[in-house]
Amino acid sequence: MIELSVLLDRIDALPPLPATSVRLINVIGDPSASVTDIVEVIKYDQALTSEVLRLCNSAYFGLSRQIASLNDAMVCLGTLKLLQLVMSVHANAMLTLPQEGYGLEAGMLWRQSVATALAAADFAKRVRYQNVNLAFTAGLLHDIGKIVLSRHVAEEFTAILAQVNEKKCTFVEAEREVLGFDHTQVGGLVAERWKLPEAIVRCIKYQYEPQRLNPPDALVDVVYLGNCVCLMMGIALGTDGLTYRADDAVAARYKLAEPDLEAVGMSMFSELERIAYFRDETPAAQEASL
Amino acid sequence: MTVARDIKRSDAPAPAGGRAPTAGGSTITVDIADMKVTDNRSAKLITHSLGSCIGVTIWDPEVRVGGMIHYMLPDATLSPDKAKLKPAMFASTGVPALFRAAFALGAVKKRMIVKVAGGSSLLDDNGTFNIGKRNYVMLRKLLWKNDILIQAEDVGGSISRTLVLDVATGRVVIRNRNGEVEL
Repeated sequence: MIELSVLLDRIDALPPLPATSVRLINVIGDPSASVTDIVEVIKYDQALTSEVLRLCNSAYFGLSRQIASLNDAMVCLGTLKLLQLVMSVHANAMLTLPQEGYGLEAGMLWRQSVATALAAADFAKRVRYQNVNLAFTAGLLHDIGKIVLSRHVAEEFTAILAQVNEKKCTFVEAEREVLGFDHTQVGGLVAERWKLPEAIVRCIKYQYEPQRLNPPDALVDVVYLGNCVCLMMGIALGTDGLTYRADDAVAARYKLAEPDLEAVGMSMFSELERIAYFRDETPAAQEASL
Repeated sequence: MTVARDIKRSDAPAPAGGRAPTAGGSTITVDIADMKVTDNRSAKLITHSLGSCIGVTIWDPEVRVGGMIHYMLPDATLSPDKAKLKPAMFASTGVPALFRAAFALGAVKKRMIVKVAGGSSLLDDNGTFNIGKRNYVMLRKLLWKNDILIQAEDVGGSISRTLVLDVATGRVVIRNRNGEVEL
């Protein structure tokens, strides 16, 4: 069992979110904010802007002309894709490290987070949830609790695995049983510490149990569905594997059926390849994988 | 479709401490929605992170031709365009392509040894989320229609699997969080 104070100390010791991330997340979470507001935030971060432009001009996007500014990029890619690119690049620093407790090598947590973000955004569009960008961001951050809990999971891995195998429970239930906390609770604490919007905190806390919310929360639902699809599609799976619960009722709320889930899986995978392309080119990513 | 022949370079990360590299051998990684076929006897085919996806290995012991696919979804009718670009994304287009590629290297259908892994599902899955099961059913149907038997399989459950085929011996190994088993 871990003491709450130990966890809180560890959360305090995390590097703070970069200022641009905080501003972006808050602008995205604000229903009254416009696309221009988002671009305003990005353009004051030079490193981010140049990374985005470099990526837009990479062979993978295959655009016919040189992208010279964020406005150019927005016109060529559309605001949703541009924002997805920006957020993914930005989250790389935070999510790229290996997370031993979950059997995730360098870059794998980033990959599964971006995949969940893409799938959550796709579900958001399908169910006509008004803020697709917020769904993407919530998907991207859904597993930040793993960053803090990984070390503890590694220490108690044998006991957690025994719980999962014997009781046929989910990985988070086993974490709670053995450690006293699971990565959704810890993720919620991290998100509160970082003063992330309440809507995102809820997604992190209820990511595997959307049914506990009454009335249902559409944002939590789309992040849950996105996460399920990415687990099934096997995007950078860790030792927790698919040991989480499927809940048909959540899909049924939006009249989503099997072909919808398959279609989301398929387009998520194509988009992921596009966004992940930058990792192969970035020196930082290459170092991380050594 | 990729036919990997005479690959000398290793695509896999350097082996972690304790595991000796295969002498003169090469490891060919099969990504998600990807397939590889080889007649390089010192090669190993490997695919990681099989969730609801299915990995199929085929091996002809006489000509020592081996192949592996890691497909995501059962049926290419979901997106014929995508299937043209990436046939290995779907069982219905990928599995036939895998066999054809092996035949092109001299493998013969009746000698082929087929092994299957993956098809996991989330817990409590009652229908909407059972892509793993649908992936498996489609494979059985395809193989049955073509008179091909599955010699061994490790499917279902809620774990992630890594699948390895040694082209020299036809040995198939599955690694998961509980350890390693030979199929």
